[in-house]
Amino acid sequence: MPTVIACFKWVIDEAYIRRGPSGDLDFSSVDYKIGEYDRNAIEEAVRLKEASGAKAIAVTVGMPEAAKGVKDALSRGIDEAYFIADSSFGNLDSSQTALILTEVIRSRIEHYDVILCGEGSSDLYAQQVGPRLAEQLGIPCISFVQKLSLAKDQLVAERRVDEGIEVITAPLPALVTVLPDINVPRIPGVKDTLMAGKKPTAKIIKDDLPPLSEPLVRTISLTSSRMERSCERFGTDAAEIARFVGSLRKKGVIG
Amino acid sequence: MSGVWIISEKRRQSLELLNIGRQLADKMGTHAAALLYHDREHAEDCVSHGADEVMLLPPLAGEEPAESRIPAIAEEAKKGDPDLILLSATPRGKNMAALLAARLNVGLVSSCTQIDYDEGSKTLVMERLAYGGAAVQKVVCSARPAMATIPPRTYETAMPKSGRQGNIRELPSPSSSAIKVIERKVKAKEAKDISEARVVVCVGRGMEKEEDLTIARQLAEAVSGSIGCTRPIAEELHWLPEELCIGLSGIQVKPDLYLGIGVSGQVQHVTGIRNAKVIAAVNKDENAPIFKASDFGIVGDLYDVVPKLISELKK
Repeated sequence: MPTVIACFKWVIDEAYIRRGPSGDLDFSSVDYKIGEYDRNAIEEAVRLKEASGAKAIAVTVGMPEAAKGVKDALSRGIDEAYFIADSSFGNLDSSQTALILTEVIRSRIEHYDVILCGEGSSDLYAQQVGPRLAEQLGIPCISFVQKLSLAKDQLVAERRVDEGIEVITAPLPALVTVLPDINVPRIPGVKDTLMAGKKPTAKIIKDDLPPLSEPLVRTISLTSSRMERSCERFGTDAAEIARFVGSLRKKGVIG
Repeated sequence: MSGVWIISEKRRQSLELLNIGRQLADKMGTHAAALLYHDREHAEDCVSHGADEVMLLPPLAGEEPAESRIPAIAEEAKKGDPDLILLSATPRGKNMAALLAARLNVGLVSSCTQIDYDEGSKTLVMERLAYGGAAVQKVVCSARPAMATIPPRTYETAMPKSGRQGNIRELPSPSSSAIKVIERKVKAKEAKDISEARVVVCVGRGMEKEEDLTIARQLAEAVSGSIGCTRPIAEELHWLPEELCIGLSGIQVKPDLYLGIGVSGQVQHVTGIRNAKVIAAVNKDENAPIFKASDFGIVGDLYDVVPKLISELKK
């Protein structure tokens, strides 16, 4: 029975970020979610489980609050979870996250066939945890995959490259990062949410891990991205439509 | 050793990277080098556009993926010890950059939109977007070499100068990868590449039926523009191909005019249009976020407004 691991990140929902008075970011009314692309990774793990009888495991590194995300992942059809939490894990860089995941997967998960990651986290979108994790584990990495199937001892993946699509084969175990078009993530029902609470979760704390590595990328500032636009409004009657088209012509952007 | 390296397989992208690469090399008092894939003519081109040195990677065997070049590139980077390595933020460029950064155990700034060299502290300060485009993140890399991927068209191509000299040399043959390419499907290009379009008419979820794309096409024709779309139109509804999907995870466009019809303006989508000269939108929801990102907005039903726009444009 194959084992499939989906990695995910519990992130700030960017739709709730406000612009503060001095161009800073106002996080006071934010909500959290499983990163958009990571939902596709979870869905693909569950899809492989349903197609081949695999066991689907989810792994996440984050703040203790990410417990909600673990439950969310389990309600989406994942069988068991590894939750690596510490209050200092809110601002890890990709290399640190990848090293923590490597350590946990190596020491706790005896056998696995495929590791799935989203193409990037939907907060920082550095798009590197997958490739770095594969490199640390010494397994092949296939990025930007939009179609995936498992055969005996190998996987077949269609990945996006600059010129179009490449169909790839890779020996198992392998790591795959998925594009949003690979599937449509299911929306868990009430029953799924209730069942999620009964599934096993292994909690791993900072003391269980080797000392944290130094970040390779340091953030020196994070500010609101300013969009300088004139925000002029127009109505829908003939005069307003003419004024709208006239404005575009005056800007010289249409003939 | 030191230097600014660019790694690229496409002519245009390599010349864009050489533009910023050469500028930074001059500021840092070092040389610029280009690492290219087996094209001698292209190598000479890079020399005249600012590369002091060109390293050429030999061609790959048929089923070998681009990744099999990583060990040779990493080996050369360890020997050459560059200060900075730049690649284009295309699917392959991003994949190669991430694998190389992992192999070298150095930081990588993905989809970097600006790089400055601070001469006082001798550090490279890089900017990128975060939170779906809602934030600008300024970062520095703490290991050497620093690495970054840069979206195509962030910089103009470098200007050629006659009489420039550069050393061109071949790197060792690539190794064999565990992964194999068993088929390559080249995408059928839409008639127009929207990343080049002067005017883009973008279709959003406010469009009710696939057949209604006709009115978007008529509008595009009236403004001599190309059609693009938001993520749900391509990925959930499949009304338009995914290469027309504009946004953070799709195409970033830089037209003179972006005209969104029935586009709500999610932050990820707006990130893909932020470099448009003029942004205009039609949406029936006056609170749609697209209006905050627009120069000109019509609050109205696209089925009422678009036909009126078409006839006004034809006047």
